[in-house]
Amino acid sequence: MRKGRPFLEIFTYALDEDYRFPILEIFAFLFALGTFVFVDLGAYSGQTGEALAYSLVTTLCGFPLLFIFVVLILKNVAYGLGSDLDRGVIQTLFSYPLKRRYILTARLLSGLGIALLLFFGIQIFGLFLLAPDVILTYPSTVFLTYAAQLCSPVLLLAGLVLFFTLRLKRGGLALVIGVILFLAGLIVSGFVTSIAYGTGSDLSLKIWAVINPNSALQIYYYDMGASLFASESWVPSFSEVLLYLGAGYLIVAALFVIGYVYFDRRLEI
Amino acid sequence: MRWITLLGRIGTVILMIGLALLVAWLIPSGAGFQSTWSQPIEPEQYMIRELRVYSPQTGLQISVNSTDNVHVYILGVSLVELDNWRTLVREAYPDLDEIFIRLWVVPMIFFHEAYPEETPPNLDDPQTWDMMWDVAVLDKGLQTHPEIILWDPPPSSTFSHELFPADALDIMVIIANPSSSAVEVETEIRDLAAVAAKERVIVAARLLIPIGIALAIPWLVSKKVKKSTF
Repeated sequence: MRKGRPFLEIFTYALDEDYRFPILEIFAFLFALGTFVFVDLGAYSGQTGEALAYSLVTTLCGFPLLFIFVVLILKNVAYGLGSDLDRGVIQTLFSYPLKRRYILTARLLSGLGIALLLFFGIQIFGLFLLAPDVILTYPSTVFLTYAAQLCSPVLLLAGLVLFFTLRLKRGGLALVIGVILFLAGLIVSGFVTSIAYGTGSDLSLKIWAVINPNSALQIYYYDMGASLFASESWVPSFSEVLLYLGAGYLIVAALFVIGYVYFDRRLEI
Repeated sequence: MRWITLLGRIGTVILMIGLALLVAWLIPSGAGFQSTWSQPIEPEQYMIRELRVYSPQTGLQISVNSTDNVHVYILGVSLVELDNWRTLVREAYPDLDEIFIRLWVVPMIFFHEAYPEETPPNLDDPQTWDMMWDVAVLDKGLQTHPEIILWDPPPSSTFSHELFPADALDIMVIIANPSSSAVEVETEIRDLAAVAAKERVIVAARLLIPIGIALAIPWLVSKKVKKSTF
């Protein structure tokens, strides 16, 4: 049997499990409605150029929508994979003539890949409807902002929750940990700025920028005019922003590698 | 069967996106901030007021009353274009105070295009200052940039209009006094808010809903048949 067929079998199974009718449809509805409800293009009076493009994208994938998206990802990664481990379905999957890492890839492709496709597909479609000139004039800024938003919290949390799910073999607990980590991230981001202002040192901002590259991008564009309150302390250069983004993705990649290695060699089933 | 399921699920997703757009379109617009001002306009001169960025979601309602017939124009300049014009004015008049560029970039551009060799308009230089606000300069500027005119009704003493621009645009109101005597003009602007870019959203919804239904029907029918068989 060719390698592709069992992979597709597992991928189809994962799709059925992750997106039972009408879960996918409900999330599509929420993403589409949220994209138009939460953005106010008139709020960016005075902003121009890349700073405007950054503000628009940030608002489009702001807290309510991003939270719904993170919940979908965590549900798929933690609850989906966790219940496979819990119910012993994973043993059936291991009987397929396929390496363990391909089984995990099929699961993640469904849980992460399809969700990302849905979310970003609707976001880009919404941006084209709302502000076509911005997305056509500054595609690199739009892409960079989405890349930063995707890195942390979405992929970072997915990597962490994947490891917790495999380690604990209980999806429910991993899901709760994921939600707590997401909310903790929001609280910490507020603290970090206060610490930087309080101590007069940029160190906390720089450490946070490695974990959450969007904060470096935010400071960079705020200084360019995305906010009336331009940063008085650390402002990274564009190459530094790219460096922090690269570091963020390295952390994400490391987390997924740990997950894969654990699934491949250490998962005792 | 798998293809029917795949296309069916894609169809239901498209249908839900279309329905979400329809819901966004149905949410009614609401009124917001309101401002009123009154000012005289000298003979054969015009005044401009840059409002703010309006978008397909945030529109405005304008009412103008004047003591004599005036021309009213609503102009909309994209943020990118406005940025380019500011750079152009900075290059043309390097010594000009930034506040003038921020406040009156459009009159400055019109003036520069009408009198490229002239010194920059300045409050201390009444001659060039008056030249900048001349209706002839305005007419020439609007002829050169007709694409920025969003509303251009015939001259009158009473106007009322509601506008939701098709894109995010910096909106300006121009009132020109073509007569040989001064007029007193009272203008009222009321912000309007809509959840979504009404025109575009409904076009997209009209397209997506039938496509979604067409793709979903075979799957839903086969699902029902399957259910009744077992």
